[in-house]
Amino acid sequence: MSTMRLLAGRTLSAGPEGFAEHAARLGHLPHAGRDLTEVVVRSGLTGRGGAGFPAGLKWRAAAARHAQVLVVNGAEGEPHSKKDRLLMSTRPHLVLDGALLAARAVRVKEIVLYIGEHHTIARAAMERALAERPAADRKHFRIAAAPARYVSGDSSAAVHLVTTGIALPTNAPAAPAMVQNVETLAHVALIARSGEDTGTVLVTMAGGVARPGVLEVETSSTIADAIALAGGATEPPRAVLMGGYFGAWVEIGQAQGLTLDPAALRARGLSLGCGVVGVLPGSHCPVCETAGIMRYLAGESSAQCGPCFFGLRALAEASGRIATQGSNSEDLQRLHRWAAEVRGRGACKHPDGAVMFLQSALSTFGQEFASHPAHRARRSA
Amino acid sequence: MPDTFLWYVTRAAGAVSLVLLSGVVILGLLSTMRVQGEGWPRFLTTGLHRNVALIAVVFLFLHIVTAVVDPFTHLGWGAALVPFSSYYRTFWLGLGVIAFDLLLAIIVTSLVRNFIGHRTWRAIHWLAYGSWPVAVIHGLGTGTDVWSFWFMLLTATCAGIVLIVAGYRFMAGPFDPLHTARAVFRGSVEKRELP
Repeated sequence: MSTMRLLAGRTLSAGPEGFAEHAARLGHLPHAGRDLTEVVVRSGLTGRGGAGFPAGLKWRAAAARHAQVLVVNGAEGEPHSKKDRLLMSTRPHLVLDGALLAARAVRVKEIVLYIGEHHTIARAAMERALAERPAADRKHFRIAAAPARYVSGDSSAAVHLVTTGIALPTNAPAAPAMVQNVETLAHVALIARSGEDTGTVLVTMAGGVARPGVLEVETSSTIADAIALAGGATEPPRAVLMGGYFGAWVEIGQAQGLTLDPAALRARGLSLGCGVVGVLPGSHCPVCETAGIMRYLAGESSAQCGPCFFGLRALAEASGRIATQGSNSEDLQRLHRWAAEVRGRGACKHPDGAVMFLQSALSTFGQEFASHPAHRARRSA
Repeated sequence: MPDTFLWYVTRAAGAVSLVLLSGVVILGLLSTMRVQGEGWPRFLTTGLHRNVALIAVVFLFLHIVTAVVDPFTHLGWGAALVPFSSYYRTFWLGLGVIAFDLLLAIIVTSLVRNFIGHRTWRAIHWLAYGSWPVAVIHGLGTGTDVWSFWFMLLTATCAGIVLIVAGYRFMAGPFDPLHTARAVFRGSVEKRELP
């Protein structure tokens, strides 16, 4: 395993690392071409945007499909995630290196930096970093604003924005383009230099920890380690939401020993997702938190399909009724039945992600959903 | 078998096709209007639309095949597919061929809808609004029974109902309950210029 880390170098509060400093620390961009694809395949690097698809396999497929454009996905529409904008704001040249290497490996001439429209510090850092690069590198890049909606970070939405000007998520393949998360590409910048996996992940610690924020941790470290690194839990936690809103709830007893390793998590039926580790304090009500998140996800439907637009709304209303008016068997049965009916009925992955989140809540907090008292929803995890 | 037998079949199948195709158009309009009620779920309209269309295609084939093989007309198979290529009643028959060709495009795209995508399928399905009136004019122009009371009544009834339903469909605007929500969402994810 490599000793390189994404966030090594100057302290993070000191602002973006300049090109000279970056080059002095890591050396110049390695001369790699198509051969890098196989290095990335062997490294086992997986996508860090959410889906966790093996990066090397994606590159092979993109080269075979003659992808025309590389979309560097820094939309970060996930509400609690901060790691992509932190990376762009502090180590922009790592992202540019990774993007250039990926573009050369799959023979793409055009690179679009797709950055959340409100993430102005990240965008300014990327613009400044681009200006420091030689014109020969700079000419491949342009910047596009990712609309501040949950679904616009989806890779198909990113491609649609670049090709058709509207960030609509779909299951059907968009134009031949390759989309890779900014963290994934930053890892590529290190893998191209060391030849092996970085062995770290960026996680955003959220909820009941003393110091919420972004951490770079070894994939061998556990969720308990990450909570300790974030200053410890503010009170004994009840559960952890692993991987953001499209992730899954895990009881704290089971969560603590889990390693933050994409492959190990997948083997347990979980996912690192976008790297958000949401800690639910013991005094917070999991039913109310779930209802609040379902209301948010229902509101983020792109309204392409009835089952998603009306189905998620009905699920949010039913879980909201349990949260505010107390448990009742009709709504509980509805949640189970409708969740199964909505799944797989959308033109994009949004309804499936929302429903899988709800189903994980129903199985993890079955007790709480069945015996919830009537009270009003409180703040989110 | 008397040699006028094929001629009778052509005329009868043509009249039945007129009724069935009008029914298909009406059911198609009703399904975009999301008509439903007690004991009439929405899938019934689309299911009927599809099945009546299938039966209509059968009668239409009968209408065309009997006309082509009729020794009196000597049409030949090319005349059934290429508009205005028949020497016999070139114009009026050509209209029928145009209507049929448009319908063929609708049938083929409906069979491969999953491959071509909803948008393309729907765009081509709009050809029905061209195919149906052309077919009706073809019937009025060349129908043997056009001056008989029953055929006039049949045509007037079919055309009347289609025009009333179509008029309502186009005057009432979109029936899609997601129309507004979708427009709002699309507006929120449209590309904007960077400051």
